[in-house]
Amino acid sequence: MRWLLGLAILFSGEAFAQKAEARLDCKHTGKDFIYDCALQISREGQPVTGLDIRIGADMPSMPMAHNVKPVKAQPTKTPGEYRARLDLEMPGEWAVKLRLGGPVRDQLLLHYEFDERGARPVRRSAKSPRK
Amino acid sequence: MDEYAIGVLTSIGLLSFVAASAYLLLIAGELSFGQQGFFGVGAYAAGIATAMLGLPLFLGLVIAMVCGAAVAALVGLPALRLRGLYFAMATLAAAEMLRILFELFHWQVEIGGETVGPDGTQGFRGIRWVFERGVEPLDFLALVWGMLAIVVLAMHFLERSKLGATIRAIGEDPGLAGTLGVDVLRLKLCVVAAAGALAALGGALFAHHNTYIEPRNFDIMLGVHTLAYALIGGLGTVFGPLLGVALDLGLLEGTRVFQGYRMIVFGGLVALLLIWRPRGLLDERVVHWLRGRR
Repeated sequence: MRWLLGLAILFSGEAFAQKAEARLDCKHTGKDFIYDCALQISREGQPVTGLDIRIGADMPSMPMAHNVKPVKAQPTKTPGEYRARLDLEMPGEWAVKLRLGGPVRDQLLLHYEFDERGARPVRRSAKSPRK
Repeated sequence: MDEYAIGVLTSIGLLSFVAASAYLLLIAGELSFGQQGFFGVGAYAAGIATAMLGLPLFLGLVIAMVCGAAVAALVGLPALRLRGLYFAMATLAAAEMLRILFELFHWQVEIGGETVGPDGTQGFRGIRWVFERGVEPLDFLALVWGMLAIVVLAMHFLERSKLGATIRAIGEDPGLAGTLGVDVLRLKLCVVAAAGALAALGGALFAHHNTYIEPRNFDIMLGVHTLAYALIGGLGTVFGPLLGVALDLGLLEGTRVFQGYRMIVFGGLVALLLIWRPRGLLDERVVHWLRGRR
């Protein structure tokens, strides 16, 4: 009967949210599309420690077709820094999904271009492209 | 259940809506490469409703379905004057036009110190209604499959009704159905609108699952997959497209053997199946045989 409870979500009430910011720095390991990533998580400019972070990824051009198995990020000695290894299926643009739990609960999406050199944030023109 | 399994099952559920919409058109005799456009309309409409207008998710889904049906009917009006491949090309062109419209669509408002709304190619961030209410992934999975169960049941009963038989008749032989007094164009238009609403419902749930959408989410790749799901699964029953999605995501994703070659395997699977079983795994003959055994 869980699906009946699920349907009850449609009518549920109050919202709560705690906004966080994230910065991602990924390096190619040399193996096909496996990256070692360092994450900096902050909230109102302050690093956030003690988080439970799950990282997944999806390709925007093929939504839901390439679900990357979410991995748990491990905290490092630097406050607000976490590390995780991402195993992607192919190079290209990926939407990296961060699900934060613990002291801050949030869900963030970061768009990065992955290739053999590493990963860079995707920068798109604010204006619509002319075709 | 582990988070990855929940993610895959949610994706299967979400894609099943758009696959079912392609199936509905296929049994009415029309091949659409454009259902991703209505999926996108639903995603944007529901996102605007909940994230910008502060409406509850239920209303967001209703608005998405109404918008999806209306846009599909607008596309269907001229496109249904075409037949076969020409109709397919028209739906593809319409979906691309919709995607470009999403790229040109800028409407943002300030909510709680944050800018929310569609921002052209930058996408539409902050569709956080589901997340901000503390809905866990397992609960969202239950919502998606609960709604899908309602849709599948409704389509199952529709197929066993006189209306369902009439829809199959216009798909098999529109000329003959017309001579028997069926208003073929009007019925096909209703099917196109219903399929648009169904795809839009899937899009609305996708937007709330992802919290972010962008025009590229709704490009031709999704349209091709959608059609392939319905064709692989079979045109004999509404469970066919669900089987098609489950085969692609469940089997290929679940095994993880094919990794980056998955698209090649998927393409090969589609080609083989279209030769071996042109109307899919659960085609009319298999469904008839299964019903005869009960």
